Amino acid sequence: MTEKKSLWTKIAFALAIAFFYLPIVYVVFFSFNSSRSLNNFTGFSLQWYQKMFENRTMMESIYYSTIIAVIATLVSTVIGTVAAIGLSKSSKLVKESITQINNLSMMNPDIVTAIGLMLFYTSLRMEAGFGTLLLAHIIFCIPYVMLSVTPKLKQLDDNIAEAALDLGCTPFQALTKVIIPQIKEAIFSGALVAFTMSFDDFVISYFVTGPGVNNISTYVYSSVKRINPSVNALSTIIVLAITIILIIMNVVPMLKERKKKNEKIA
Amino acid sequence: MKKLIEFRNIVKAFGSQVVLKGINLDIFENEFVTLLGPSGCGKTTLLRILGGFLSQDSGEVILDGKEISNVPAYQRPINTVFQRYALFPHLDVFDNVAFGLRIKKMSEDLIKPKVERMIALVGLEGFEHRDVSMLSGGQQQRVAIARALVNEPDVLLLDEPLSALDRKLRVEMQQELKRIQQEVGITFIFVTHDQEEALTMSDKIVVMRDGVIQQIGTPLEIYNTPNNRYVANFIGNSNIVDGTMKKDYLVRFDDREYECVDFGFKPNEPVDVIIRPEDIRILPPNQGKINGQVLSVLFKGVHYESIVETRRGASKTVILHVVENRDTFNKEANEKINATDFTVDIEDVKNLTNEDLIARANAQAWIPESEEDISIASVENGLKEESGSYPVTFKTAKGTSITVNVNVVKPIVSEDAKYQIGIQAFDVYKTVDEIRESMAISVDLRTWADAYAWELDTQKEVMIDDVRFDFEPNEIVAGDYPVTFLTEGRTWKVHTTEKQEEDTAVSLDFGPDDIHVMHKEVLS
Amino acid sequence: MKGFRRLAYPYVVWAVAFVVIPMLLVLIYAFTTRGNAVLTFRFTLANFARFFSDKIFLSVLLRSLKIALVTTIVCILLGYPVAYAISRFSPNNQAFCILLVTIPMWINMLVRTYAWRGILLDTELSPELKVYIGMVYNFLPFMILEVYTSLSKMDPNLSVAAADLGCNNRQVFTKVILPLSIPGVLSGITLVFLPAVSSFFIPKLLGGGSFVLIGNLIENYFVTTGDWNFGAAISLIMTIIILISMYFTRKFDYTEEERA
Repeated sequence: MTEKKSLWTKIAFALAIAFFYLPIVYVVFFSFNSSRSLNNFTGFSLQWYQKMFENRTMMESIYYSTIIAVIATLVSTVIGTVAAIGLSKSSKLVKESITQINNLSMMNPDIVTAIGLMLFYTSLRMEAGFGTLLLAHIIFCIPYVMLSVTPKLKQLDDNIAEAALDLGCTPFQALTKVIIPQIKEAIFSGALVAFTMSFDDFVISYFVTGPGVNNISTYVYSSVKRINPSVNALSTIIVLAITIILIIMNVVPMLKERKKKNEKIA
Repeated sequence: MKKLIEFRNIVKAFGSQVVLKGINLDIFENEFVTLLGPSGCGKTTLLRILGGFLSQDSGEVILDGKEISNVPAYQRPINTVFQRYALFPHLDVFDNVAFGLRIKKMSEDLIKPKVERMIALVGLEGFEHRDVSMLSGGQQQRVAIARALVNEPDVLLLDEPLSALDRKLRVEMQQELKRIQQEVGITFIFVTHDQEEALTMSDKIVVMRDGVIQQIGTPLEIYNTPNNRYVANFIGNSNIVDGTMKKDYLVRFDDREYECVDFGFKPNEPVDVIIRPEDIRILPPNQGKINGQVLSVLFKGVHYESIVETRRGASKTVILHVVENRDTFNKEANEKINATDFTVDIEDVKNLTNEDLIARANAQAWIPESEEDISIASVENGLKEESGSYPVTFKTAKGTSITVNVNVVKPIVSEDAKYQIGIQAFDVYKTVDEIRESMAISVDLRTWADAYAWELDTQKEVMIDDVRFDFEPNEIVAGDYPVTFLTEGRTWKVHTTEKQEEDTAVSLDFGPDDIHVMHKEVLS
Repeated sequence: MKGFRRLAYPYVVWAVAFVVIPMLLVLIYAFTTRGNAVLTFRFTLANFARFFSDKIFLSVLLRSLKIALVTTIVCILLGYPVAYAISRFSPNNQAFCILLVTIPMWINMLVRTYAWRGILLDTELSPELKVYIGMVYNFLPFMILEVYTSLSKMDPNLSVAAADLGCNNRQVFTKVILPLSIPGVLSGITLVFLPAVSSFFIPKLLGGGSFVLIGNLIENYFVTTGDWNFGAAISLIMTIIILISMYFTRKFDYTEEERA
């Protein structure tokens, strides 16, 4: 009975995983294709990688995606963390209103947020380009940082800030020496979410960016009309990068844990 | 002794709720002061005002002769031990303790010996580099104390610091705190709701209630001569009864007059009389002041606590009619049905729904072989809002039916005028099986009879304390049985060193100076 | 410490400026005539009248709703068993399996959808079916994660207690586990239905140019045609439909909670 049960759960899971990884494997495989075909493997070649590195727009898109994600993450993490700390001590009305606005921002279909920002920029006669793109990314990343930091703040001892003041900290010292060190993991995971949201974003970027400024998503979208196997090579690079990052993220804590354990034994 | 802190007319409100109603309090150097009261009495608010975490709406806080209301928390020479310690989990024990000194930019050479001395004072040597989250509650407590004291404050505030500890540790920490306070020689202000903590540690206790100070005094004063019933109740395990002060040195309670040592009351003033359990002696019957019966005896560690009843409570006796099971079998439909008579309050008749009737009569129908339940499809109800006996018929869809008698009665209230207690209950009709299957017969009888008691003047519900009957529920046969419901009478807690026997007749004795008479509280 | 609440004020201003005002602009554009809407304010309902009087627009709307609905249902039917399967594994394996489900989500959605384009290129499948595959592929992980979270939060003693009270395996599932995991399914529905209704790159990449959903309409009117007022009106209509469907999902959630 249990045997049978565990078998069907394993099969269900395996099918799902196969479905999820099929296109990834496919893309990696065909990035080494020697012909332009997207579904007929004619032989091994690295030409699409070479073409990718030679393609300036493509390389720029990687650059823009990265630089925007990095800056948007840094800025939104600072703003989001400070705002979340302030909010945790605010009156219920302010807290509720901001939570609602943040929910609106996160739950709104991306396309609506995107056209809203586009209209906003136009009304202010801001020229679409790198600046508008970056600002948009900061705007939509902040709620995710707050979403990650707020629960951790709730868990803190109610008196923790007071204890710091009691021991002679100025309010600013209480913030930097006591509160932030205690929520740094939540801040970090908020930053991580912000980074992925920014790096992955297509819809908002598509509407708010200007001529000559493409990130990976908008580049892939614009090159969809022609068949361009270099995109496969680009995808493979991304898959590789993500895999490395994920391995580091999951293995490093594990090693740390082991080190801690060893220390304890010693 | 020098006056260190003065609270002058402190008022504080949160929204419309006034939590401090004009507090005046002086605290001296090197005193161990306890603010005692239940949660919501304002004690923590007062402490937080002194710490600088809240500001009062009006009034002055004076420290060492200077008004400090505008001094921010981090500039006051005051440190706090918080309720759940508020230790910094990202720092180890040493760094937690050193925190305040480092903020003051003291050099590490000076910090090290100071911190080590403090860690030694609280008995945590060897724990310097432990993670604070790995420490036990008691150890965390010690870190919090060391972290505050290392700053050499003029005053240490402790906000219910022992409430999170288990009992044994709490007692240990009480002694520890007292020792530390004597060693460092500064003022401790301690907030608690635990009277035992207050009594064992304090030089001075401040009893608070609803933002008002009820009494300020030494533990002995508070214990022996409480100002009012509230303080007496809060501070210990006492016998408090209503009485009348006939004249100076003569008080009347429970229908007798007693000599006492109190004076200065108006003639015939209603008062509260308190006699501590340890001040009462137990003697053989008729040799003491009041006769009674030992209800129960509990061993309390060093003494026995006996409950002696000197007067029975109000009572009401009803008849329990036990009838044979009367399952009716309908052969054609192959259904059985069953229900019992019951009594109902005339006032309730108009509100009875069919569901109520089914429940009260315990009407059930079922298929004999499978015991599968069948629902009651209809109820024929001939009830009138007049005293009398009326038929009620329950029917299933297939026509199996049973008729029971419902007795509509006016509630008969027994009033005990002397003790101002009313009690009522109704006769009960039950089948043999229902009695035998009851898992908690006393509780069921109370429910079935709808027994209820109340104070005549306030209408407040009084617990029905005892249900007395004279049958063995498991072996009951059809017949009528008296059942008596009783409220609690006058009982006295008595602490003795020798064990008393339960159910024996005794007599209680106490002297004039064992009686303490207090003014009735004026409810604001 | 009350002083810290001042730290929230700049963000209050920020949120109003960059979140609330852009939303209001969408609203204003939807109800005004063509031109610079903020300066030359002219109220009109013409944009909505145009949308609802044209059969083509309505059929696009209906098609979008149908695609989103079917996608959501398929995601529940596929996602629930997978989430349930994961929740039956040992705790260590569960963490690993969840990681396996999350990894693809880290890779750019566009890139993954582009990959499907290659796979489906020469197949005989209809554009609609291709779009379904793309949608389910992109949104299924959300459903799995939401359902899994609600299943894993459940006290394991509940199933034991239910069995103790006489439930057989099937009853344990239908009477205890399923009802308690409904909130997870509902938040999964929100996470699937919402982006599915508004998606425009999945139909564009997989459905070919002729397969138009409401997201593509909005894109067209903003990017190609430049009729922003009409585009804003369409997105407002879409938002309202989403709000209504979310309201009903939430309401269902609350009644579930009340019953529990």
